[in-house]
Amino acid sequence: MRKYLLKRVFYMLLTLFLVATITFFLMKLMPGTPYSNQEKMTPQQIKIMNEQYGLNKPVWLQYLIYLGGMLHGDLGTSFQYSNQPVSYLISSRIGASAQLGLQAMIFGVLVGIIIGSFAAINRNTWIDTLCTVLSIIGKSVPNFVLAVLLQFYIALKLGWFPIADWGGFSYTVLPTIALGVGPLAETARFIRTGMVDVLSSDYIELARAKGLTKFGIVYHHALRNSLIPLVTLIGPYTVALMTGSMVIENIFSIPGIGEQFVKSITTNDYPTIMGVTMLFSAGLVVVILLTDIVYGIIDPRIRLSGNGD
Amino acid sequence: MKINKFAKLGTVVALSSLFLVACGSKSSSTASKQVLNWNETAELPTMDLSTATDVVSFDTLNNTNEGLYRLGKDSKIEPGIATKTQVSSDGMKYTFTLRKNAKWSNGQKVTAKDFVYSWQRTVNPKTASQYAYLFSGIANADDIMNGKKAVSTLGIKAEGNYKLVVTLDKKLPYFKLLMGFPVFFPQNEKAVKEYGSKYGTASKYMVYNGPFKLTKWTGSNLSWTLKKNNNYWDKKDVKLSAINFKVNKSTTTSYNLYQSGKLDETTLSAEQAKQLANSKELVTRKGASTFYLEYNQTKKEYQNANIRKAISLVIDRKQFVNKVLGDGSTVAKGLASTGLAKLNGEDFASAASVKSAVATNRAEAKKLWAKGLKELGVTSLNIQLLSDDTDKAKDSTTFLQSQIEENLSGAKVSVSNVPFKTRLARSESGDFGIVVTGWGADFSDPISFLDLFTSDNSQNNGKWKNAEYDKLIEASKTTDAGNTTKRWNDLVKAQKILLNDQGISPLYQQATATLVKSKVKGVIYNAAGVNYNFKNTYIAK
Repeated sequence: MRKYLLKRVFYMLLTLFLVATITFFLMKLMPGTPYSNQEKMTPQQIKIMNEQYGLNKPVWLQYLIYLGGMLHGDLGTSFQYSNQPVSYLISSRIGASAQLGLQAMIFGVLVGIIIGSFAAINRNTWIDTLCTVLSIIGKSVPNFVLAVLLQFYIALKLGWFPIADWGGFSYTVLPTIALGVGPLAETARFIRTGMVDVLSSDYIELARAKGLTKFGIVYHHALRNSLIPLVTLIGPYTVALMTGSMVIENIFSIPGIGEQFVKSITTNDYPTIMGVTMLFSAGLVVVILLTDIVYGIIDPRIRLSGNGD
Repeated sequence: MKINKFAKLGTVVALSSLFLVACGSKSSSTASKQVLNWNETAELPTMDLSTATDVVSFDTLNNTNEGLYRLGKDSKIEPGIATKTQVSSDGMKYTFTLRKNAKWSNGQKVTAKDFVYSWQRTVNPKTASQYAYLFSGIANADDIMNGKKAVSTLGIKAEGNYKLVVTLDKKLPYFKLLMGFPVFFPQNEKAVKEYGSKYGTASKYMVYNGPFKLTKWTGSNLSWTLKKNNNYWDKKDVKLSAINFKVNKSTTTSYNLYQSGKLDETTLSAEQAKQLANSKELVTRKGASTFYLEYNQTKKEYQNANIRKAISLVIDRKQFVNKVLGDGSTVAKGLASTGLAKLNGEDFASAASVKSAVATNRAEAKKLWAKGLKELGVTSLNIQLLSDDTDKAKDSTTFLQSQIEENLSGAKVSVSNVPFKTRLARSESGDFGIVVTGWGADFSDPISFLDLFTSDNSQNNGKWKNAEYDKLIEASKTTDAGNTTKRWNDLVKAQKILLNDQGISPLYQQATATLVKSKVKGVIYNAAGVNYNFKNTYIAK
């Protein structure tokens, strides 16, 4: 087990190194400078600025300097926010995104499991059809459309929740729903399919024959088995949601990381692009490892190291 | 007993909800007091005036700090830190007398040394200021920026604490206007040194000498508050006690907040502006920026004036601004935007306009087109149109493409919509046929636009050249710089030359539609340089 983990951690670091390298060189291929007033600056002024920021050095040297900084935990300072360290930009804005993403995921998965199980138990009845239709709608309506509708009807017209801004829990309700509908629909679909399979298997027949309650069968036997494919889905999905959704953050004016990332790309804010990309990648590789470990826990048929120790 | 407990709980809940309601009404009654709730469409990136580059930073700096002058209505100069200004007879030396009652929020007095320190800091190449070029013209500024001279040689000296002497390399007829731009404001050396690399990165790492003080800004958050500055020398004229800024990037959101009374102002999208065209609260803010077609005159086909004129004449600009843009933008009269400068009551844009340069005349266009093609010895022409990749830019290029292809036989337009930075890079390297581009004025003077098209200007990407034009611009800066009328005439003539030759084809002057609650009075908006000045703003009863 320990050998396996060490090997995995080594591969994770290798992955991160490759991501950093590829992103750095791709990023340097983008035309233009990171200066927002580039349009009004003469080539001479841009040259002087490049010298100040070390952007006149060969790209491989810039890459080594960046890598050196990163190893010391220095992600550089942002160009968009003059003098602001990238690490501060990320740390001050990842909180809102992470909270929102996590809430959306919990909401989506829990409600999705309930709807999915409900549909599977009542297979081929109108309840099943209704659940399927709902999850198709949830999957196909873009979350920003739902966000705008929720904001208009629930917040502005009914006044139940704040229209936008970020403060207490009440501010998170509408964005959580808007963001959670995607994973909800996805989960419901997975659970239904998985559970329909499981419910028609022999051991469920046996459980029934033993006289277990319907709830007991569904909860202890069917659900646990149909959760396995879901685990693969949840991990990366959570990372994607927690690292920010630009659209939802914009609609509800949430100080998250989503827009920061997109804007850093369009403005050639090199240190921010690298910082957010690395954060995202690190989150992803860690979650993939966790997913594999969780697999082993919930499904004894899967052994992590393969030699049975 | 149990019921009793529930009754108690119920009473507590009822009471606390009453209390909450009371709080709610309390906060809404302060809203009718002198508190303004303003919408911003982007974050506040920095409060360091030497490195600021964006509208939000400049606006915030303008309301929390003050330079020698403050720009009032129609970019009129109003008193700031300077109480008296003496200009030498040759116009090369300015002596400012500063007021003695101006203070920083850290308690120190605002002195001439703060200006010297600030200016030297900005032109220092190490500071990497993106607006340092505005100092060009102040003695030795160019050499300092290029690293050829020491910072201390800059043409600004403090004579004692309250006298400031500025010497110039060349005449700057708009020099006083520049003093209202935050890049020329003073900086408190003690604060810059004390806060070091944190200077200007959060409201607490900054000092203020203007009408308001910045609070609740962490450097990356989406809301902040300007509080009335009780140390401000003219605090009796500041009526607002606070301005709450909220960043809402979605205009749908800010409009909803506006409707619910949480905001007193909101920016509108073009779609919203069309629907609210009859609203009494609609305020269109004209920008000091003009968009135009720039032709690549290193290419044979665009050196041909008939081709350029034909293209310009087929565009129905009225339809363009009303149907395609719809955000309150207006048909451009020429290159320099309207509202920049006036002489004897006449706006520069009108004085220097050439009707045929922005008119639609398709019969004439067809004639010129045929003539142009013949001169080039071809029967058809491929036009490469370059523009940004925003929705607005895409709509614009689609419109232009159809106008040109439908009306000029043999014209084939291929459009490239690319990201802004790519568009700039391609413009600079000359990799375009025609580019849809724009220019915004940094200060309220036509020269801010006209400088762009002199032969030696490195930002003249189309490489249009005209000796007469160059001569007129040069004269406006040298021989005629001291004579308002002569200088005005030079600039008028120059713009007419550019327009008559269709060196560029002006399209529209940009505007932003906003809604402002009618109780909000005294907001000063200037198109060029800094936009908003809230010093005299108040909430009417």
